[in-house]
Amino acid sequence: MDFPTFLVQLNDAVVNENGPCLAFLLRPTSPHGKDLVKEFRNPTSASPSIVVLVSEEERSGLHLAGSMESPWDEIAIQYVLICTHVAKKRSIDAFKEESQLVSLFMRFFTENRGWTLPALFSILRDLRDLAIDADHYAKYNNQKSECMEESARVIAKAFGHCIMDRISPPDQSRKWGIYYVVGLVLKCYFRVKRISLSKNILRALQANNDIPALELYPRSHQVTFRYYLGMLSFLNEEFVKSEEELTLAFYNCHIDAHANQERILAYLIPLRILKGHLPSAELTKRFPVLDEIFSPFIIAIKKGDLKAYDQALKDWEARLLELNLWLSLEKARELCQRSLFRRMWVAADKGTRIPISMFHSALTISGLDVTYEEAECQVANMIYRGFIRGYISHEKQMVVLASTNAFPRVADRPSPLSSI
Amino acid sequence: MSPSDSKSKTAESSKSEEKSKNETQPNLSVLEEDDEFEEFPVADWDDSKTDLAHLGGAAPGSAKSGGDKLWEDNWDDDDVEDEFSVQLRNELAKTKSSGTGSSMDH
Repeated sequence: MDFPTFLVQLNDAVVNENGPCLAFLLRPTSPHGKDLVKEFRNPTSASPSIVVLVSEEERSGLHLAGSMESPWDEIAIQYVLICTHVAKKRSIDAFKEESQLVSLFMRFFTENRGWTLPALFSILRDLRDLAIDADHYAKYNNQKSECMEESARVIAKAFGHCIMDRISPPDQSRKWGIYYVVGLVLKCYFRVKRISLSKNILRALQANNDIPALELYPRSHQVTFRYYLGMLSFLNEEFVKSEEELTLAFYNCHIDAHANQERILAYLIPLRILKGHLPSAELTKRFPVLDEIFSPFIIAIKKGDLKAYDQALKDWEARLLELNLWLSLEKARELCQRSLFRRMWVAADKGTRIPISMFHSALTISGLDVTYEEAECQVANMIYRGFIRGYISHEKQMVVLASTNAFPRVADRPSPLSSI
Repeated sequence: MSPSDSKSKTAESSKSEEKSKNETQPNLSVLEEDDEFEEFPVADWDDSKTDLAHLGGAAPGSAKSGGDKLWEDNWDDDDVEDEFSVQLRNELAKTKSSGTGSSMDH
Protein backbone atom coordinates (compact mmCIF):
# COMPACT_ATOMS: atom_id res chain seq x y z
CA MET A 1 0.00 0.00 0.00
CA ASP A 2 1.46 3.39 -0.95
CA PHE A 3 0.83 6.65 0.83
CA PRO A 4 -1.86 7.99 -1.54
CA THR A 5 -3.76 4.67 -1.22
CA PHE A 6 -3.40 4.86 2.53
CA LEU A 7 -4.93 8.34 2.49
CA VAL A 8 -7.81 7.17 0.32
CA GLN A 9 -8.52 4.23 2.63
CA LEU A 10 -8.30 6.44 5.67
CA ASN A 11 -10.73 8.81 4.05
CA ASP A 12 -13.11 5.98 3.16
CA ALA A 13 -13.06 4.63 6.72
CA VAL A 14 -13.91 8.08 8.09
CA VAL A 15 -16.64 8.76 5.53
CA ASN A 16 -18.18 5.31 6.03
CA GLU A 17 -17.86 5.60 9.80
CA ASN A 18 -16.04 2.27 9.86
CA GLY A 19 -14.40 2.14 13.30
CA PRO A 20 -12.73 -1.29 13.05
CA CYS A 21 -11.23 -0.39 9.67
CA LEU A 22 -9.95 2.90 11.06
CA ALA A 23 -8.40 1.01 13.95
CA PHE A 24 -6.67 -1.35 11.51
CA LEU A 25 -5.32 1.51 9.40
CA LEU A 26 -3.83 3.29 12.43
CA ARG A 27 -2.18 0.25 13.97
CA PRO A 28 1.63 0.33 13.61
CA THR A 29 1.73 -3.47 13.40
CA SER A 30 -0.61 -3.61 10.38
CA PRO A 31 1.10 -4.81 7.17
CA HIS A 32 0.79 -1.47 5.36
CA GLY A 33 2.93 0.11 8.07
CA LYS A 34 6.00 -1.63 6.65
CA ASP A 35 5.14 -0.59 3.08
CA LEU A 36 4.91 3.03 4.10
CA VAL A 37 8.21 2.89 5.96
CA LYS A 38 9.87 1.53 2.80
CA GLU A 39 8.26 4.14 0.61
CA PHE A 40 9.65 6.95 2.73
CA ARG A 41 13.14 5.51 2.94
CA ASN A 42 14.57 7.42 -0.02
CA PRO A 43 17.42 5.31 -1.46
CA THR A 44 18.88 8.13 -3.52
CA SER A 45 19.51 10.42 -0.59
CA ALA A 46 23.04 10.25 0.79
CA SER A 47 22.04 10.70 4.40
CA PRO A 48 18.34 10.16 4.61
CA SER A 49 16.66 11.98 7.40
CA ILE A 50 13.26 10.50 7.91
CA VAL A 51 11.76 13.66 9.27
CA VAL A 52 12.89 15.73 6.30
CA LEU A 53 11.70 13.10 3.89
CA VAL A 54 8.38 12.93 5.58
CA SER A 55 8.06 16.70 5.43
CA GLU A 56 8.68 16.54 1.70
CA GLU A 57 6.09 13.88 1.31
CA GLU A 58 3.90 15.76 3.69
CA ARG A 59 3.45 18.42 1.07
CA SER A 60 2.53 16.01 -1.68
CA GLY A 61 0.47 14.07 0.76
CA LEU A 62 -1.48 17.14 1.73
CA HIS A 63 -1.84 17.92 -1.92
CA LEU A 64 -3.18 14.45 -2.63
CA ALA A 65 -5.41 14.64 0.36
CA GLY A 66 -6.86 17.88 -0.81
CA SER A 67 -10.33 16.75 0.07
CA MET A 68 -9.30 15.30 3.42
CA GLU A 69 -10.31 17.30 6.39
CA SER A 70 -8.09 18.05 9.31
CA PRO A 71 -6.83 16.34 11.40
CA TRP A 72 -6.63 13.29 9.09
CA ASP A 73 -3.85 14.72 6.93
CA GLU A 74 -1.70 15.19 10.00
CA ILE A 75 -2.72 11.86 11.51
CA ALA A 76 -1.59 10.09 8.34
CA ILE A 77 1.84 11.67 8.61
CA GLN A 78 2.05 10.88 12.32
CA TYR A 79 1.29 7.29 11.45
CA VAL A 80 4.22 7.05 9.06
CA LEU A 81 6.52 8.65 11.63
CA ILE A 82 5.43 6.12 14.27
CA CYS A 83 5.95 3.17 11.94
CA THR A 84 9.39 4.46 11.01
CA HIS A 85 10.46 4.86 14.63
CA VAL A 86 9.09 1.42 15.47
CA ALA A 87 11.01 -0.10 12.54
CA LYS A 88 14.20 1.62 13.74
CA LYS A 89 13.49 0.52 17.32
CA ARG A 90 13.43 4.11 18.53
CA SER A 91 10.91 3.34 21.24
CA ILE A 92 10.84 6.68 23.00
CA ASP A 93 10.35 8.61 19.75
CA ALA A 94 7.66 6.16 18.68
CA PHE A 95 5.85 6.78 21.93
CA LYS A 96 6.07 10.57 21.56
CA GLU A 97 4.68 10.47 18.03
CA GLU A 98 1.90 8.10 19.07
CA SER A 99 0.82 10.50 21.83
CA GLN A 100 0.78 13.23 19.21
CA LEU A 101 -1.41 11.01 17.02
CA VAL A 102 -3.76 10.39 19.94
CA SER A 103 -4.11 14.08 20.65
CA LEU A 104 -4.86 14.79 16.97
CA PHE A 105 -7.40 11.98 16.99
CA MET A 106 -9.05 13.50 20.08
CA ARG A 107 -9.98 16.58 18.06
CA PHE A 108 -11.99 14.35 15.76
CA PHE A 109 -13.23 12.03 18.48
CA THR A 110 -14.87 14.74 20.58
CA GLU A 111 -16.88 15.87 17.54
CA ASN A 112 -18.09 12.39 16.69
CA ARG A 113 -20.16 9.51 17.96
CA GLY A 114 -19.45 6.06 19.33
CA TRP A 115 -18.55 4.49 15.95
CA THR A 116 -15.06 5.90 16.56
CA LEU A 117 -14.54 3.82 19.71
CA PRO A 118 -12.80 0.81 18.08
CA ALA A 119 -10.18 3.22 16.74
CA LEU A 120 -9.87 4.99 20.10
CA PHE A 121 -9.37 1.70 21.94
CA SER A 122 -6.80 0.61 19.42
CA ILE A 123 -4.65 3.75 19.50
CA LEU A 124 -4.79 3.97 23.31
CA ARG A 125 -3.69 0.35 23.53
CA ASP A 126 -0.84 1.07 21.11
CA LEU A 127 0.11 4.11 23.16
CA ARG A 128 0.36 1.98 26.29
CA ASP A 129 2.30 -0.74 24.53
CA LEU A 130 4.74 1.80 23.13
CA ALA A 131 5.09 3.33 26.61
CA ILE A 132 6.03 -0.09 27.98
CA ASP A 133 8.67 -0.47 25.25
CA ALA A 134 9.95 3.06 25.79
CA ASP A 135 10.29 2.66 29.54
CA HIS A 136 12.00 -0.70 29.09
CA TYR A 137 14.41 0.80 26.61
CA ALA A 138 15.13 3.74 28.91
CA LYS A 139 15.66 1.50 31.91
CA TYR A 140 18.03 -0.68 29.93
CA ASN A 141 20.01 2.37 28.87
CA ASN A 142 19.99 3.98 32.31
CA GLN A 143 17.79 6.82 31.12
CA LYS A 144 14.94 8.36 32.96
CA SER A 145 11.62 7.86 31.25
CA GLU A 146 8.08 8.42 32.38
CA CYS A 147 6.20 7.33 29.30
CA MET A 148 3.80 5.14 31.25
CA GLU A 149 2.86 8.06 33.51
CA GLU A 150 2.37 10.18 30.41
CA SER A 151 0.23 7.52 28.73
CA ALA A 152 -1.89 7.31 31.90
CA ARG A 153 -2.53 11.06 31.63
CA VAL A 154 -3.47 10.81 27.97
CA ILE A 155 -5.77 7.84 28.54
CA ALA A 156 -7.41 9.55 31.54
CA LYS A 157 -8.13 12.50 29.26
CA ALA A 158 -9.73 10.16 26.73
CA PHE A 159 -11.89 8.79 29.55
CA GLY A 160 -13.12 12.36 30.13
CA HIS A 161 -14.00 12.67 26.44
CA CYS A 162 -16.05 9.46 26.60
CA ILE A 163 -17.93 10.48 29.71
CA MET A 164 -18.64 13.99 28.42
CA ASP A 165 -20.74 12.91 25.44
CA ARG A 166 -23.95 14.89 25.91
CA ILE A 167 -25.12 14.93 22.30
CA SER A 168 -24.98 11.48 20.71
CA PRO A 169 -28.13 9.34 20.88
CA PRO A 170 -27.81 6.77 23.70
CA ASP A 171 -27.06 3.78 21.45
CA GLN A 172 -24.35 5.70 19.58
CA SER A 173 -22.82 7.38 22.59
CA ARG A 174 -19.10 7.64 23.30
CA LYS A 175 -20.11 6.60 26.81
CA TRP A 176 -19.89 3.00 25.56
CA GLY A 177 -16.14 3.47 25.69
CA ILE A 178 -16.04 4.40 29.37
CA TYR A 179 -15.27 1.07 31.02
CA TYR A 180 -12.74 -0.11 28.47
CA VAL A 181 -10.81 3.14 28.78
CA VAL A 182 -11.06 3.04 32.59
CA GLY A 183 -9.62 -0.48 32.46
CA LEU A 184 -6.64 0.85 30.51
CA VAL A 185 -6.07 3.78 32.89
CA LEU A 186 -6.17 1.52 35.93
CA LYS A 187 -3.73 -0.85 34.24
CA CYS A 188 -1.35 2.10 33.84
CA TYR A 189 -1.74 3.18 37.48
CA PHE A 190 -1.05 -0.34 38.71
CA ARG A 191 2.00 -0.59 36.50
CA VAL A 192 3.58 2.64 37.75
CA LYS A 193 2.40 1.88 41.30
CA ARG A 194 0.35 5.05 41.55
CA ILE A 195 -2.74 3.19 42.65
CA SER A 196 -4.10 6.09 44.72
CA LEU A 197 -4.74 7.99 41.48
CA SER A 198 -7.51 5.51 40.73
CA LYS A 199 -9.70 7.33 43.23
CA ASN A 200 -10.17 10.24 40.84
CA ILE A 201 -11.43 7.92 38.13
CA LEU A 202 -13.79 6.05 40.45
CA ARG A 203 -15.10 9.34 41.81
CA ALA A 204 -15.83 10.56 38.28
CA LEU A 205 -17.70 7.32 37.56
CA GLN A 206 -19.81 7.79 40.68
CA ALA A 207 -20.49 11.44 40.01
CA ASN A 208 -21.99 10.71 36.59
CA ASN A 209 -25.32 9.00 37.00
CA ASP A 210 -26.12 8.84 33.29
CA ILE A 211 -23.54 6.16 32.51
CA PRO A 212 -25.21 2.96 31.24
CA ALA A 213 -25.20 0.05 33.73
CA LEU A 214 -21.96 -1.95 33.71
CA GLU A 215 -23.86 -5.16 32.85
CA LEU A 216 -24.82 -3.63 29.49
CA TYR A 217 -21.18 -3.31 28.37
CA PRO A 218 -19.29 -6.08 26.56
CA ARG A 219 -18.07 -8.74 28.98
CA SER A 220 -14.41 -7.99 28.31
CA HIS A 221 -14.98 -4.43 29.59
CA GLN A 222 -16.96 -5.63 32.61
CA VAL A 223 -14.47 -8.28 33.67
CA THR A 224 -11.40 -6.05 33.38
CA PHE A 225 -13.09 -3.25 35.28
CA ARG A 226 -14.34 -5.55 38.02
CA TYR A 227 -10.91 -7.15 38.38
CA TYR A 228 -9.28 -3.78 39.02
CA LEU A 229 -12.10 -2.59 41.27
CA GLY A 230 -11.80 -5.84 43.20
CA MET A 231 -8.03 -5.38 43.48
CA LEU A 232 -8.37 -1.79 44.67
CA SER A 233 -10.88 -2.88 47.32
CA PHE A 234 -8.62 -5.78 48.32
CA LEU A 235 -5.65 -3.47 48.81
CA ASN A 236 -7.86 -1.10 50.83
CA GLU A 237 -8.96 -4.07 52.94
CA GLU A 238 -12.57 -3.58 51.86
CA PHE A 239 -12.99 -7.33 51.67
CA VAL A 240 -16.76 -7.49 51.25
CA LYS A 241 -16.67 -5.27 48.18
CA SER A 242 -13.57 -7.01 46.85
CA GLU A 243 -15.14 -10.44 47.12
CA GLU A 244 -18.27 -9.27 45.28
CA GLU A 245 -16.35 -7.74 42.40
CA LEU A 246 -13.84 -10.55 42.01
CA THR A 247 -16.62 -13.15 42.11
CA LEU A 248 -18.41 -11.38 39.25
CA ALA A 249 -15.12 -10.93 37.40
CA PHE A 250 -14.32 -14.63 37.69
CA TYR A 251 -17.73 -15.93 36.69
CA ASN A 252 -18.05 -13.59 33.71
CA CYS A 253 -14.50 -14.16 32.50
CA HIS A 254 -13.99 -16.15 29.31
CA ILE A 255 -12.92 -19.67 30.34
CA ASP A 256 -10.16 -19.68 27.74
CA ALA A 257 -8.60 -16.57 29.31
CA HIS A 258 -6.82 -18.83 31.76
CA ALA A 259 -4.17 -16.35 32.92
CA ASN A 260 -6.84 -13.77 33.69
CA GLN A 261 -8.95 -16.27 35.62
CA GLU A 262 -5.85 -17.27 37.54
CA ARG A 263 -5.10 -13.67 38.39
CA ILE A 264 -8.65 -13.10 39.65
CA LEU A 265 -8.57 -16.30 41.71
CA ALA A 266 -5.25 -15.43 43.33
CA TYR A 267 -7.17 -12.80 45.30
CA LEU A 268 -10.61 -14.36 45.29
CA ILE A 269 -9.48 -17.65 46.84
CA PRO A 270 -8.16 -16.13 50.11
CA LEU A 271 -11.34 -14.07 50.42
CA ARG A 272 -13.49 -17.15 49.90
CA ILE A 273 -11.40 -19.03 52.45
CA LEU A 274 -12.08 -16.28 55.00
CA LYS A 275 -15.75 -16.78 54.25
CA GLY A 276 -15.44 -20.49 54.93
CA HIS A 277 -15.71 -21.49 51.26
CA LEU A 278 -12.66 -23.55 50.35
CA PRO A 279 -11.84 -24.09 46.66
CA SER A 280 -12.95 -27.56 45.58
CA ALA A 281 -10.66 -30.06 43.89
CA GLU A 282 -12.59 -29.37 40.71
CA LEU A 283 -11.47 -25.75 40.84
CA THR A 284 -7.88 -26.25 41.99
CA LYS A 285 -7.06 -28.88 39.39
CA ARG A 286 -7.73 -26.29 36.71
CA PHE A 287 -5.20 -23.92 38.29
CA PRO A 288 -2.14 -25.91 39.38
CA VAL A 289 -0.06 -22.83 40.16
CA LEU A 290 -2.67 -21.53 42.58
CA ASP A 291 -3.13 -25.01 43.99
CA GLU A 292 0.54 -25.05 44.83
CA ILE A 293 0.32 -21.77 46.74
CA PHE A 294 -2.93 -22.33 48.57
CA SER A 295 -3.11 -26.08 49.18
CA PRO A 296 -0.72 -26.09 52.20
CA PHE A 297 -3.03 -23.57 53.86
CA ILE A 298 -6.23 -25.35 52.88
CA ILE A 299 -5.01 -28.75 54.03
CA ALA A 300 -3.87 -27.24 57.34
CA ILE A 301 -7.25 -25.53 57.81
CA LYS A 302 -9.16 -28.75 57.20
CA LYS A 303 -6.94 -30.67 59.61
CA GLY A 304 -6.57 -27.97 62.21
CA ASP A 305 -2.83 -28.37 61.82
CA LEU A 306 -1.70 -25.02 63.16
CA LYS A 307 1.94 -26.01 63.02
CA ALA A 308 1.74 -26.72 59.29
CA TYR A 309 -0.23 -23.50 58.76
CA ASP A 310 2.39 -21.39 60.50
CA GLN A 311 5.13 -23.18 58.61
CA ALA A 312 3.38 -22.41 55.30
CA LEU A 313 3.04 -18.76 56.27
CA LYS A 314 6.75 -18.69 57.03
CA ASP A 315 7.87 -20.57 53.91
CA TRP A 316 5.84 -18.40 51.63
CA GLU A 317 6.24 -15.12 53.44
CA ALA A 318 8.34 -13.27 50.86
CA ARG A 319 6.23 -14.34 47.92
CA LEU A 320 2.94 -13.73 49.70
CA LEU A 321 4.04 -10.25 50.75
CA GLU A 322 5.02 -9.50 47.18
CA LEU A 323 1.58 -10.53 45.97
CA ASN A 324 -0.14 -8.66 48.84
CA LEU A 325 -1.61 -11.96 49.98
CA TRP A 326 0.14 -12.37 53.29
CA LEU A 327 -2.31 -10.36 55.36
CA SER A 328 -5.40 -12.22 54.20
CA LEU A 329 -3.79 -15.61 54.80
CA GLU A 330 -2.57 -14.50 58.18
CA LYS A 331 -6.17 -13.57 58.99
CA ALA A 332 -7.38 -16.96 57.75
CA ARG A 333 -5.19 -18.57 60.42
CA GLU A 334 -8.12 -18.31 62.85
CA LEU A 335 -10.01 -20.86 60.72
CA CYS A 336 -7.16 -23.27 61.30
CA GLN A 337 -7.23 -22.56 65.00
CA ARG A 338 -10.96 -23.18 65.07
CA SER A 339 -10.41 -26.54 63.37
CA LEU A 340 -7.74 -27.43 65.89
CA PHE A 341 -10.11 -26.73 68.78
CA ARG A 342 -12.89 -28.54 66.98
CA ARG A 343 -10.71 -31.62 66.52
CA MET A 344 -9.78 -31.57 70.15
CA TRP A 345 -13.49 -31.41 70.91
CA VAL A 346 -14.21 -34.35 68.57
CA ALA A 347 -11.34 -36.29 70.20
CA ALA A 348 -12.93 -35.46 73.56
CA ASP A 349 -16.14 -37.08 72.33
CA LYS A 350 -17.88 -33.77 71.73
CA GLY A 351 -18.47 -33.03 75.39
CA THR A 352 -20.10 -29.80 76.49
CA ARG A 353 -17.65 -29.09 79.30
CA ILE A 354 -14.03 -28.90 78.20
CA PRO A 355 -11.32 -27.70 80.60
CA ILE A 356 -9.09 -24.84 79.40
CA SER A 357 -6.17 -27.18 79.97
CA MET A 358 -7.34 -29.26 77.04
CA PHE A 359 -7.37 -26.28 74.74
CA HIS A 360 -3.92 -25.54 76.09
CA SER A 361 -2.78 -29.09 75.26
CA ALA A 362 -4.14 -28.83 71.76
CA LEU A 363 -2.05 -25.71 71.22
CA THR A 364 1.02 -27.28 72.80
CA ILE A 365 0.83 -30.34 70.55
CA SER A 366 0.73 -27.94 67.62
CA GLY A 367 4.09 -26.65 68.76
CA LEU A 368 2.81 -23.41 70.23
CA ASP A 369 4.46 -22.41 73.44
CA VAL A 370 1.59 -20.59 75.15
CA THR A 371 0.58 -20.06 78.77
CA TYR A 372 -2.79 -21.06 80.20
CA GLU A 373 -3.85 -17.44 80.18
CA GLU A 374 -3.04 -17.16 76.50
CA ALA A 375 -4.93 -20.33 75.72
CA GLU A 376 -7.94 -19.02 77.64
CA CYS A 377 -7.70 -15.71 75.83
CA GLN A 378 -7.63 -17.48 72.47
CA VAL A 379 -10.73 -19.49 73.35
CA ALA A 380 -12.47 -16.27 74.43
CA ASN A 381 -11.57 -14.75 71.10
CA MET A 382 -12.92 -17.76 69.19
CA ILE A 383 -16.21 -17.39 71.09
CA TYR A 384 -16.29 -13.66 70.44
CA ARG A 385 -15.61 -14.19 66.71
CA GLY A 386 -18.50 -16.65 66.44
CA PHE A 387 -16.33 -19.72 65.77
CA ILE A 388 -17.35 -21.40 69.02
CA ARG A 389 -20.71 -21.18 70.77
CA GLY A 390 -20.37 -21.24 74.55
CA TYR A 391 -18.87 -19.36 77.47
CA ILE A 392 -15.87 -19.59 79.77
CA SER A 393 -16.13 -20.14 83.46
CA HIS A 394 -12.92 -18.44 84.52
CA GLU A 395 -13.03 -19.64 88.16
CA LYS A 396 -13.49 -23.25 87.12
CA GLN A 397 -11.13 -22.91 84.14
CA MET A 398 -13.82 -24.58 82.12
CA VAL A 399 -15.31 -23.92 78.71
CA VAL A 400 -19.03 -24.63 78.63
CA LEU A 401 -20.12 -25.31 75.06
CA ALA A 402 -23.56 -25.00 73.54
CA SER A 403 -25.29 -28.39 73.52
CA THR A 404 -26.07 -28.04 69.83
CA ASN A 405 -23.90 -26.65 67.08
CA ALA A 406 -20.99 -25.79 69.38
CA PHE A 407 -18.75 -25.30 66.34
CA PRO A 408 -20.96 -23.76 63.63
CA ARG A 409 -19.78 -24.19 60.05
CA VAL A 410 -17.41 -21.35 59.22
CA ALA A 411 -19.52 -20.57 56.16
CA ASP A 412 -22.57 -20.00 58.37
CA ARG A 413 -21.16 -17.09 60.34
CA PRO A 414 -23.05 -13.89 59.54
CA SER A 415 -21.08 -11.33 57.45
CA PRO A 416 -17.69 -12.99 57.97
CA LEU A 417 -15.79 -10.57 55.76
CA SER A 418 -17.00 -7.34 57.30
CA SER A 419 -15.73 -8.32 60.74
CA ILE A 420 -12.13 -8.82 59.64
CA MET B 1 33.71 1.12 36.97
CA SER B 2 31.43 4.02 37.68
CA PRO B 3 29.57 4.25 40.98
CA SER B 4 26.30 3.61 39.22
CA ASP B 5 27.75 0.46 37.67
CA SER B 6 28.75 -0.98 41.01
CA LYS B 7 25.40 -0.05 42.43
CA SER B 8 23.51 -1.80 39.68
CA LYS B 9 25.78 -4.79 40.06
CA THR B 10 24.99 -5.06 43.78
CA ALA B 11 21.34 -4.80 43.01
CA GLU B 12 21.76 -7.50 40.43
CA SER B 13 23.60 -9.91 42.69
CA SER B 14 21.12 -9.48 45.51
CA LYS B 15 18.42 -10.13 42.98
CA SER B 16 20.02 -13.36 41.86
CA GLU B 17 20.39 -14.42 45.47
CA GLU B 18 16.73 -13.85 45.93
CA LYS B 19 16.10 -15.83 42.81
CA SER B 20 17.98 -18.85 44.05
CA LYS B 21 16.12 -18.60 47.33
CA ASN B 22 12.87 -18.68 45.44
CA GLU B 23 13.85 -21.61 43.31
CA THR B 24 12.40 -24.04 45.80
CA GLN B 25 9.04 -22.37 45.38
CA PRO B 26 6.75 -23.08 42.48
CA ASN B 27 6.99 -21.09 39.35
CA LEU B 28 4.55 -18.23 39.67
CA SER B 29 5.45 -16.59 36.41
CA VAL B 30 1.80 -15.92 35.70
CA LEU B 31 1.69 -13.66 38.71
CA GLU B 32 4.91 -11.81 37.99
CA GLU B 33 4.98 -8.10 38.55
CA ASP B 34 5.44 -7.07 34.93
CA ASP B 35 2.68 -9.32 33.85
CA GLU B 36 -0.75 -7.84 33.92
CA PHE B 37 -4.41 -8.51 33.34
CA GLU B 38 -4.44 -9.49 29.70
CA GLU B 39 -6.33 -7.94 26.85
CA PHE B 40 -9.18 -10.26 25.83
CA PRO B 41 -8.96 -11.43 22.20
CA VAL B 42 -12.71 -10.94 21.78
CA ALA B 43 -14.90 -8.17 23.16
CA ASP B 44 -17.96 -10.15 24.21
CA TRP B 45 -19.13 -13.71 24.79
CA ASP B 46 -22.15 -15.50 26.15
CA ASP B 47 -22.71 -17.53 29.33
CA SER B 48 -21.65 -20.80 27.69
CA LYS B 49 -18.06 -19.47 27.53
CA THR B 50 -17.94 -18.71 31.25
CA ASP B 51 -18.04 -20.53 34.57
CA LEU B 52 -21.66 -19.41 34.88
CA ALA B 53 -22.45 -22.21 32.44
CA HIS B 54 -21.85 -24.93 35.05
CA LEU B 55 -23.97 -23.33 37.74
CA GLY B 56 -27.36 -24.48 36.49
CA GLY B 57 -28.96 -21.33 37.85
CA ALA B 58 -27.18 -21.35 41.21
CA ALA B 59 -25.75 -18.08 42.46
CA PRO B 60 -22.06 -17.68 41.55
CA GLY B 61 -19.90 -18.47 44.56
CA SER B 62 -22.76 -20.00 46.55
CA ALA B 63 -20.59 -23.08 47.33
CA LYS B 64 -21.63 -26.73 47.09
CA SER B 65 -24.59 -26.51 49.46
CA GLY B 66 -25.90 -23.68 47.26
CA GLY B 67 -25.23 -25.50 43.99
CA ASP B 68 -21.79 -24.14 43.05
CA LYS B 69 -19.42 -27.09 42.99
CA LEU B 70 -16.30 -24.95 42.72
CA TRP B 71 -16.38 -24.17 46.45
CA GLU B 72 -16.70 -26.38 49.52
CA ASP B 73 -18.60 -25.16 52.55
CA ASN B 74 -18.87 -28.56 54.29
CA TRP B 75 -15.32 -29.44 55.08
CA ASP B 76 -15.29 -30.19 58.81
CA ASP B 77 -13.46 -33.44 59.35
CA ASP B 78 -14.67 -35.84 62.04
CA ASP B 79 -12.05 -38.45 61.25
CA VAL B 80 -10.01 -39.01 64.41
CA GLU B 81 -7.89 -41.95 63.28
CA ASP B 82 -4.99 -40.07 61.75
CA GLU B 83 -1.67 -39.51 63.48
CA PHE B 84 -2.40 -35.98 64.59
CA SER B 85 -5.69 -36.95 66.23
CA VAL B 86 -4.16 -39.95 67.95
CA GLN B 87 -1.43 -37.73 69.37
CA LEU B 88 -4.06 -35.22 70.41
CA ARG B 89 -6.13 -37.94 72.06
CA ASN B 90 -3.14 -39.28 74.00
CA GLU B 91 -2.27 -35.81 75.23
CA LEU B 92 -5.88 -35.23 76.20
CA ALA B 93 -5.93 -38.48 78.13
CA LYS B 94 -2.82 -37.32 79.99
CA THR B 95 -4.34 -33.91 80.64
CA LYS B 96 -7.50 -35.51 81.86
CA SER B 97 -5.80 -38.00 84.19
CA SER B 98 -3.49 -35.36 85.62
CA GLY B 99 -6.57 -33.32 86.54
CA THR B 100 -7.46 -29.87 85.38
CA GLY B 101 -5.73 -27.87 88.07
CA SER B 102 -2.58 -29.79 88.99
CA SER B 103 -0.79 -29.31 85.68
CA MET B 104 -1.16 -25.55 85.81
CA ASP B 105 2.24 -24.04 85.83
CA HIS B 106 1.40 -20.59 87.11
